[in-house]
Amino acid sequence: MIKQDLKSLEGKSIYIIREAKLKFKNVAALWSMGKDSTTMLALTRKAFLGKVPFPVIHIDNSIDFPETYKFRQDLAKKWGLNLIVARSEIKPDIIGSACCGKNKPETLKKVMKEYGFDALIVSIRRDEHGIRSKERYMSPRDEKFRWNFKDQPAELWDDYSSKLDEAGHVRVHPILDFNEIDIWNYIKKERVPVNPLYFSRDGYRYRSLGCTHCTTPIKSAAKNVDDIIKELSTTKTEERSGRSMDKENAYVMERLRQFGYM
Amino acid sequence: MKVYPISLLGHKDHGKSTLIGSLLMQTGAATQARIQEAEQYSKKLHKDFEPAFILDSFAEERTGEMTIDTTRAEITYKGLAFALIDVPGHEELIKNMISGASYGEIAILLVSAKGGEGIQPQTKRHLYIARMLGIDTLIVAVNKMDLIDYDQEKFEEIRHDLSSFIEKIGFERSKVHFVPISAYKGENLVKTCKSLDWYGEGTLLDVIYRSVKKEEKAVGGPLRIVAQGSIVSAGKSMVVGRVINGSIKKGERVCFLPSKIAAVVSDIVVNGKKVGRAFSGDNVALAFKNKINGETRGSVIYSGENKPSLKDSINARIFLAGKLGKDLKIKFNGIDVGCKGIKILRKIDPTTGDSSSAKNIKPLDAAEAEVTLIKNIPTEDYNITRELGRFVFYSGNKFLGIGIIER
Repeated sequence: MIKQDLKSLEGKSIYIIREAKLKFKNVAALWSMGKDSTTMLALTRKAFLGKVPFPVIHIDNSIDFPETYKFRQDLAKKWGLNLIVARSEIKPDIIGSACCGKNKPETLKKVMKEYGFDALIVSIRRDEHGIRSKERYMSPRDEKFRWNFKDQPAELWDDYSSKLDEAGHVRVHPILDFNEIDIWNYIKKERVPVNPLYFSRDGYRYRSLGCTHCTTPIKSAAKNVDDIIKELSTTKTEERSGRSMDKENAYVMERLRQFGYM
Repeated sequence: MKVYPISLLGHKDHGKSTLIGSLLMQTGAATQARIQEAEQYSKKLHKDFEPAFILDSFAEERTGEMTIDTTRAEITYKGLAFALIDVPGHEELIKNMISGASYGEIAILLVSAKGGEGIQPQTKRHLYIARMLGIDTLIVAVNKMDLIDYDQEKFEEIRHDLSSFIEKIGFERSKVHFVPISAYKGENLVKTCKSLDWYGEGTLLDVIYRSVKKEEKAVGGPLRIVAQGSIVSAGKSMVVGRVINGSIKKGERVCFLPSKIAAVVSDIVVNGKKVGRAFSGDNVALAFKNKINGETRGSVIYSGENKPSLKDSINARIFLAGKLGKDLKIKFNGIDVGCKGIKILRKIDPTTGDSSSAKNIKPLDAAEAEVTLIKNIPTEDYNITRELGRFVFYSGNKFLGIGIIER
């Protein structure tokens, strides 16, 4: 896994986060309390001199880990976040990718509409998944949240996409260039708070965090950020190997993203 | 570590995605899971293993055997890191090719040596666009050597046929290298190949390694900051933007264009920290002693006598990806500027480099043109300050092409 230059990654992210705020009227960010979206918030605080100047949304299906809820409460208080908790109902008969593909986007659609957000900051990274690697830094979605991957807008020379139409919005991806190891190096350098579930307990840790239904821990002895960086420097397994939905079908991610999955 | 971005160029099916897939495997950058997944899908589609599937992740890219959109993947070699930017080779997807290639500092052009393939109009069009985008170092990978029995003569023929065009459109001979490879078989990419022992300049990665500019861009020159706009922090207004040239100091007197407002810098913040001075590449937040009235987005900040020129009529080299239509505008450093008209001075055929006096151009043509705007913008020659010498064309919401400002 390649360790990139943190200063240039940080600069680019700050540029894109500022661009989102200055280009659009009403921006929000998704926050899952995971390492990526928390790093994005740390970068936002740098871009806006210590503040997160837009609401952060947690799509809460009420089956996240207790540690995750505590982390949410503590950091929201510490960083003075304008937190919107949007409750998503878990239906026992809809599981796995169908749950992420349906329940969460439906809730997100509702909250986007209610607040009238025209841009949404999402902390996906190119190295996470082949489909995510095809994303733009700014990517328009229509009213139904569809991603028209066959006709993505041109994106060059710091000219980023605008909205397609009144009802749509733009997804903003400020940490697209970060690799998994860059996130951890940045967390180390900037002392970004992280969810304790990432650290090993009884020989296991979560490498990628979802809800309690779909995430399984990996075997690991990494007890702190340094250990994780060491572990990632030699690992040959995929980051999302503990995320069940990625495995159901190779194109499930493509369909999920097409229909509005984060 | 610094990652050198490298754009892949070339006609469809000449092996861009296959090359990246093979490089990822041979340098150990592809995870087992990605390779296995590509293997599974090759089998499912009744094909031999297809390294391109490591990159081409969309279902339609795999069944349709073509790259639809740009992506990138990183490899390391002898302590350097390269981001390989894949782009679609298909003519209709030129918008996605331009998007991808715009991030490259150097380029690898794929030319298939297979009978009936060879140098195609799209091969040359990609080169022309790459040169417009500012790429000056080029590696021509002559691919599919395994299908022509590693024939040196055929390789030299391609080198000969392409060299004059490459120089005609402005590449320097010393910055262009030709390398024979087989992307599919993974030959002469990382390891040398016996059948190609007549080629004495090393593997593709050796040539890339020698070609990247290892020295950092010199700091200095006149100050230029492109402003993204103004933010308010703790009741204080700050102008945010990126230093694209020179440096800025606390206490320095600077000037905004097009507003011509002069101001003295009272605070500089870079990546969350207060500093006394900021340099080229830094994303800054600037506070001033006096109030900056009006819109700052798209403004250029300079100091001293050396300044960009304000113009509402610009001479530019343009490349069209779509049909010129109504509601014409350019996007320039974050702002949309309406276009009154585009007068074609000379038409250029990007597949030959020849120009003619035609007054009308169609998609995939280039031209020297005079672009008239509804208001003044701060510009410079592209060769002096890239960010102030380039723009994107739109007709309404539709991407039309790119322009480079030339005096």
